[in-house]
Amino acid sequence: MTWRAAALLAAGAVTLPLWPAPFVGVALMTVAVLALAAVDWALAAPPAGVAADRGGDRRVRLGGTATVTLRLANASARTLRARVRDEWVPSAGARPDVPPGRVVRVAPGTSVDLPTRLTPSRRGDRPAVALTVRSYGPLRLAFRQRAGHPATPAWTLRVLPRFDSRRHLPEKLARLRVIDGTQVTRGRGEGTEFDALREYVVGDDVRSIDWRASARRSDVLVRTWRPERDRRLVCVLDTGRTSAARIGDEPRLDTFLDAALLLTALAARAGDRVDLIAADAVVRAAVTGAGRPALLARLVDAVAPLQPALVETDFALIAGEVLRRERRRSLVVLFTALEAGALGEGLLPVLPRLAARHRVIVAATHDPVLTALTAAVPGRPADAYAAAAAWRALAERDRLRAVLSRHGVTVLDAPADRLAPAVADAYLRLKSLGRL
Amino acid sequence: MTAAPYHTGPADAAPAPPASAAAPRRWHRLAIPLGLAALLITITVLTHAVDQPDPTEPGFLSPVATDADGGSRLAAALRDRGVVVQRETDPLRAVLATAGRATLFVPAPGLLHPDTLGALRDLPGRIRLVLVDPPRQVLEATGLPLVPAGRRWATRAVGPDADGRPCALPEVARAGVAAAERQRYAVPPDRSGATVDRCYAAGLARVPWATETVVIGASDPFRNDRIGERGNRELATGLLGTTGRVVWLDLDGPAPPPPDPGGTDGPSRPANPEGPGGGTGDDEPGTPGEDRGDEGAAADGPSPPNPLWAAFPAWFWALLAQLALAALLLVLWRARRLGPPVSEPLPVAVRSAETVLGRARLYQRARARGPAADTLRAAALARLLPRLNLPADPPADAVAAAVAARAGGTAAQVHDLLYGDEPSSDRELLDLARSLDRLTRTVAGTPDPAPADAGPHRHPPAHAGGRPPGPADAGPPADPPGPDRPAAVPRPRPAPPKEDPR
Repeated sequence: MTWRAAALLAAGAVTLPLWPAPFVGVALMTVAVLALAAVDWALAAPPAGVAADRGGDRRVRLGGTATVTLRLANASARTLRARVRDEWVPSAGARPDVPPGRVVRVAPGTSVDLPTRLTPSRRGDRPAVALTVRSYGPLRLAFRQRAGHPATPAWTLRVLPRFDSRRHLPEKLARLRVIDGTQVTRGRGEGTEFDALREYVVGDDVRSIDWRASARRSDVLVRTWRPERDRRLVCVLDTGRTSAARIGDEPRLDTFLDAALLLTALAARAGDRVDLIAADAVVRAAVTGAGRPALLARLVDAVAPLQPALVETDFALIAGEVLRRERRRSLVVLFTALEAGALGEGLLPVLPRLAARHRVIVAATHDPVLTALTAAVPGRPADAYAAAAAWRALAERDRLRAVLSRHGVTVLDAPADRLAPAVADAYLRLKSLGRL
Repeated sequence: MTAAPYHTGPADAAPAPPASAAAPRRWHRLAIPLGLAALLITITVLTHAVDQPDPTEPGFLSPVATDADGGSRLAAALRDRGVVVQRETDPLRAVLATAGRATLFVPAPGLLHPDTLGALRDLPGRIRLVLVDPPRQVLEATGLPLVPAGRRWATRAVGPDADGRPCALPEVARAGVAAAERQRYAVPPDRSGATVDRCYAAGLARVPWATETVVIGASDPFRNDRIGERGNRELATGLLGTTGRVVWLDLDGPAPPPPDPGGTDGPSRPANPEGPGGGTGDDEPGTPGEDRGDEGAAADGPSPPNPLWAAFPAWFWALLAQLALAALLLVLWRARRLGPPVSEPLPVAVRSAETVLGRARLYQRARARGPAADTLRAAALARLLPRLNLPADPPADAVAAAVAARAGGTAAQVHDLLYGDEPSSDRELLDLARSLDRLTRTVAGTPDPAPADAGPHRHPPAHAGGRPPGPADAGPPADPPGPDRPAAVPRPRPAPPKEDPR
């Protein structure tokens, strides 16, 4: 039934004063309208004869717009007149080009493309949920609609992180080239790895003269060094409860992802191998650096669906995973929150094992609320209590930093928007010092 | 919690199985509590209905019936008080037997024939008539100025003057608290001038006419099962025993109509001048039959057609019916939705510094002024000491003197501020916090005679908040982040001895 059947019946009701027997008229008109509706229903294209398929974008960066096309093929012998509703999760931001209120006509044996523009509002996987096709008869007095016919073609749009810290990449790459020696701004490259022997020219550091090689030849030879390549870098993302806290506008985890992506892009260009582990109580994602050109794309794809979980992070699991995967000495960058409770009880017991094998950096974000609490002039008694609690939290963080430093761990504690360049700087510094 | 769906299972899984699995669960979620509630209500109503005594069944409040809803104990109690109990099973005989001073007790007035009720209205004087829970028709037929005014689910035991008015029946007032409040009675508005005495929160009403009529809304005080409770026995015997003789009308079923006035029934002959003459005497001899016929038709046959039907032509009603059918079609159309609503797990949202703010509220709730003041003082000291070139754990006097020299004020004041007693009120704590804040700002603002090393207790953003940067303020934000030196990488520095973590 549609509104047209009801309108037909209501219009017929106006003629009732002219009928000799009004109640007979009611019965006759009702039967007539129902019969018309039944005929119309029988003439509607059966939903089972409609096949749906999808095509289009699989991936989109957060903030961008993707287009996914739904193709409806009418295999039945009747013309399909249908209203189509293609449902995505609300955060996918789907806007169909053909709104669900409009009736689509598909001739028998042909198909029609219904594009949908998606502007997702959140990172992660955004699935298409349900497809509903309502097939009308030629009079549009009745329709056929069956749940699950046609079956909803599965489609998931993966929304990748925004990677805002891309803008820092050219500057960091320029510094990397300086260190590498490929860009001659400070002369030859620095490094600790033996590269080649060449003849001495005036201006070379006399300390780099290789006397033994010079003795074999009549010329004075110097050793040249280059930065280490093929070093290993492990980004460990803590996706536990502390990563769920919002710093400013976004959860800590998003800041961590941003910094890890910048670090990966930089390290991949520097010729280092990057692995990534995301874990809380279980390992959520693990990427092992393989083919370098595709590494960043693979990494972005792997971290896109990560969401913080409200569980306590198992640092013993993380340490075990890192030790199991990385046999050689690596730089382990642990992205987590500097919280005394979580790190003190979880990380400190396993830290000696980890720090003995690898070089560890703990990267954390400040909470601007804490500093605002300590910096503001108290106006009410509640402010004084809040300042005391904030000072206490800061003191605990200081103690934690001291303990971590004693274990030889570098602690980076930066505001959310400065974390990614700070981590990249730390990496470049270690690289230039040859301490990777 | 909400993050789980992102990781469990492939995202491409068809959403149909969870939807179909969720549908019955949602159905259950609604049906089970509603079904349980309906079951409980049904059981309660059924139990209540079974538990209630039925006045129409034989033996209800009969002086010879000994079961729970009989009246044998009441009859025995009356006899104990010397009251003569005369059981009658015929209404007419009962009326006749009340000659002289007596009480006519009608436990089931609903069983009386409507014509007999008219006779009850005009019983000879000095008779008390006691009706137990009379229905509305009985009240109307006997012409009493009473209407039912609300019925309780179960009988309640109340005092005779429960609604604040003293009870005008001394024998009832003596009984005290009794189970008499079930059906309440009120005076209809058009007869508000009538004199009615009400007791037991209007559960008992007396109309002091020529025939003194007492109406009680609960049968509990008379029944065998409850006569022993509270003042029930006193109430029942008091109501019935005032005249010394009780005529107990014990009906087994609906009473037959009274004989015609022209009937030749022996016992009814002497009653003719009184009973029918009093009850239906206003009417002509032919009218009672007609009245009865009318009443029978009204009671048994269909009610007369509503005049509203004839007020409009037939097509109007047909039009209404067809529009209703059209509306039904509209409902059918709108009832089918174009696809189900879509749900989505939302990411967890944890506000920043939640734990810190929670701890602050805990401090405040527990009035932990001492620990809060200690923390504030320790933080202020940690900020002051590096600026004053003092060692990590200096004597209090030296600190007070150094601070006073730098920021002004006397050493005693500063000592009191930094090492004083814990504040005794929130106001004092607030003053302390403000003073410490002012002190640290003053010390940070005054130029330092000797450049001091920034200690381990610097909190860079704390200094960035509108504080004039002192020369010793070497926090990372004040440190120009050069392109080749990472700004936020802290240099390893020795941990102070008092900061042993474990």
